[in-house]
Amino acid sequence: MCSVLVIGDMHVPFRSSGLPAQFKKLLTPGKIQHVLCTGNLCTKEMYEFLKSIANDVHIVRGDFDENLNYPDQKVVNVGQFKVGLCHGHQVIPWGDPESLALLQRQLDVDVLVFGHTHKFDAFELGNKFFLNPGSATGAFNPLNPDIIPSFVVMDIQSSTVVSYVYRLVDDEVKIEKIQYTKK
Amino acid sequence: MTQMEDQEKQLEFALASVQKQGVHMKMCLDKNKLMEALKHASAMLAELRTSLLSPKSYYELFMKVTNELCYLDLYLVEEFERGRKVDDLYQIIQYAGNIVPRLYLLITVGLVYIKTNTNLKRDLLKDLVEMCRGVQHPLRGLFLRHYLLQCSKNVLPDVPDNEETEHPEGTVRDSIDFILMNFAEMNKLWVRMQHQGHSREKERREKEREELKILVGTNLVRLSHLDSITLDKYRKIVLPGILEQIVSCRDAIAQEYLMECIIQVFPDEFHLYTLNVFLKSCCELQPSVNVKTIVILMINRLTVFTFHNSNASEVKLFEVLTEQIANIIQSRDLPLEDTVSLQAAMVGLALKCYPDNLDYVDKSLQTISDTFAKRKIEKISHKNPVSRELMALMKLPIDNYNDLLLVMKLKHFPEIIEYFDYTGRKTIAIYLLQNAVQCRTMIPSVEQADIVLTMVSPLVKDQPDQPIGEEDPEDFAEEQSLLGRFVHHMKADEPDLQFKILMAEREHFSLGGNKRICYTLPPLVFQAYQLALIYSGKREQDELWEKKCRKIFQFCHQTILELTKAELAELPLRLFLQGALTISQINFKNYETVAYEFYSQAFTLYEEEISESKCQLAAIILLIGTFEKINCFDEENAEPVRTQCALAASKLLKKPDQCRAVAISSHLFWSAQNNVGQPLQDGKRVMDCLKKCVRITKQCMEVSVQVQLFVELLNYYVYFYERGNNNVSVDILNQLIGQIKKEITGLTPNEETEQITKHFENTIAYLQNRIESADTEDSVYKALEGLTL
Repeated sequence: MCSVLVIGDMHVPFRSSGLPAQFKKLLTPGKIQHVLCTGNLCTKEMYEFLKSIANDVHIVRGDFDENLNYPDQKVVNVGQFKVGLCHGHQVIPWGDPESLALLQRQLDVDVLVFGHTHKFDAFELGNKFFLNPGSATGAFNPLNPDIIPSFVVMDIQSSTVVSYVYRLVDDEVKIEKIQYTKK
Repeated sequence: MTQMEDQEKQLEFALASVQKQGVHMKMCLDKNKLMEALKHASAMLAELRTSLLSPKSYYELFMKVTNELCYLDLYLVEEFERGRKVDDLYQIIQYAGNIVPRLYLLITVGLVYIKTNTNLKRDLLKDLVEMCRGVQHPLRGLFLRHYLLQCSKNVLPDVPDNEETEHPEGTVRDSIDFILMNFAEMNKLWVRMQHQGHSREKERREKEREELKILVGTNLVRLSHLDSITLDKYRKIVLPGILEQIVSCRDAIAQEYLMECIIQVFPDEFHLYTLNVFLKSCCELQPSVNVKTIVILMINRLTVFTFHNSNASEVKLFEVLTEQIANIIQSRDLPLEDTVSLQAAMVGLALKCYPDNLDYVDKSLQTISDTFAKRKIEKISHKNPVSRELMALMKLPIDNYNDLLLVMKLKHFPEIIEYFDYTGRKTIAIYLLQNAVQCRTMIPSVEQADIVLTMVSPLVKDQPDQPIGEEDPEDFAEEQSLLGRFVHHMKADEPDLQFKILMAEREHFSLGGNKRICYTLPPLVFQAYQLALIYSGKREQDELWEKKCRKIFQFCHQTILELTKAELAELPLRLFLQGALTISQINFKNYETVAYEFYSQAFTLYEEEISESKCQLAAIILLIGTFEKINCFDEENAEPVRTQCALAASKLLKKPDQCRAVAISSHLFWSAQNNVGQPLQDGKRVMDCLKKCVRITKQCMEVSVQVQLFVELLNYYVYFYERGNNNVSVDILNQLIGQIKKEITGLTPNEETEQITKHFENTIAYLQNRIESADTEDSVYKALEGLTL
């Protein structure tokens, strides 16, 4: 089995002062093999933090990232899965499942990870899995007044992805499980 | 022969002789020839008369000899217990030839007497400790007395000296006198070592003294083991006795070691109640004694003790220490860093034992401030040891309170910061902010925000004493990000107050110059956007909410314009767009005009300031994506913007960029809403966009790029068809599929074309899937051709 941290839209320092302490406690080295980050970190320290969790870190560029070395999209192979990664501000309308499906077909991936809306989302479309980890810091977003800090850990084993959604509700970490199996 | 080899040889000879005499002694004892045995013992002990050995070697010899003497001791005890009358033995030994062997034997025999006849204890102990004066050679004397102390370890009387009862075996008072005398004599011998021999050997002598100090200190350890020494006795007899000897010996090495010894061996409770006496003696020590270390050791001990014993609070510890430290500072010429570290220890005590009493900490800070003023100190370089000690002190309240608001309550904290140089002040600033961010401390008022931002001023703006030259850009970015993060910690619950805080912050940050404002102003803008949403939520309670929202967006507008003045383009563009989105969420009076202003500012930046083609593509996509979500414009305003976006998209430099941007702009004519609240769904305009894309694609030179764009466009057509755009006809889809199939076979196989093929296959598979699941007969998909590959 392989654990993949899916995280993004931290927006430090512009929209948030940092990760919630409860998340920091959970995000320690040794448990995670790969990190997929949807972007908008936006500082180097945040990158170093992700790098401290696992050595294999993949990042795409968010609309507020100044780092031009991050690509717009990326495909990462994890076990039997091809995982596509894109911040999502380039996919219009933002967060629209059918528009995202266009990107999924283009990248030819089983799982498409995206962000930008700061709202956790997970759905299947045409037996493909779409996942938005939300904002790990609960960063402000004008279109989404009630933002809950969240991230996801995907446990990948043969043809199944079990996603654990970590959400900070009233200062308490709530965990939810979602399963997706590739046909 | 080197000195070391010489030593080894001397020791070897001596040990061999001891070995030989020891064997003889034992043989004699085994044959019950006591007098013979004593003769050999005496010969063995005579080896200890040497002056040739170093303390280390002498110690080895001493161990060997005393080990052999144990045999004699055991023999004697056994004989005495059997009732053998050897009363005169003590007398006989008095005639042993040389004083060193004689005294060792006297101690051995004397202790046997004491063990067998305890009534002799008091007199014999006194006798022995007096007689040892006979050896005045430091090394020999010290070891002889050490032997005495060792032998008497288990026989020292330890009963209270009650006046009403008789104590023929002696009381604790006798033990105290015995040890104090032995201590005083040993100390004198030890100090005398310093003054023997040539002055050029001073260093070696001091090293030798260092090796011997534990022999002197053992006296104090022995005292501390006497259970009958009460606090009262300690205060009246023991401590004055020790201190008198320490002060009067006028030897720095002895004083420093023995003062520390007192602190280490006696209980903290005793120290607490004798603090004045102890610290007063500190004033009288030799000038070269490091009094600071002694006092800090004491403070730290008492800090831990007081922390764990609530009943210790009856002593006004902080006050006593403050007074005595002031005396010490006055009476001695302490280096400035030492006075600072003394105060640091005091701050440590105050924080640990009196956490609620901020005045104590403040008092220490004031003392430092006064001292600096008196010594006319203005700035302290970070390279100066004073700066290091002072920094350690400043970090104590920060680390202990873990609450910036409490640190700010220390009245003298800011004025001490001012004594540091630029590097020092910046270090403190970073430390303060890191702590606040980590502990999530919230700053709830304008006044407090002003104070903090002044305290961390080396991060906020350039400093007059700032060294010229480039700062490390990575460090600078990290520091400014920290300050940016801290913006989210200056927050009041009450919205009006929060707005005042934001305005106050901007005044500070505006002074930061172009290199800083790109870190500090954006968080301010985002805080302001959130505040506007808060007012929007309070529209029922606050009738002025619309005016306030307007004011906030004016504030944001100005703030973002400051960034454009700093010749930034992309950052203010994004901030304006986020503003437009926020405004469109809040239906306040004339909000449409405000949103339009924000959006048009962004668009102007796009047109005038962004020139690099890659940045242009990114920016136009963001402009389009944002506009798709803004739903507050009436058609009169919205229509020109859509057209502008599509036009700008078609003007990008590279053909593929044009094609993709125009395709994206098609969404503006479909799902985007105006203020009527319905998606536009203008099928014809969508088709216009996509047709334009096809035309652009055909202009691309590279076939692979063409095919790729066609596949992307095919997906767009399918997307809009499924969304109900009736203008998408099966003919168009068939044409595109045909075109792609024609071209795709001619592509040179490589990684890129493989991706294109895969994309096309996925699209076809999707369509096939749709045909199979289509439930209506008139589905356009039924007429699709060539869906087999």
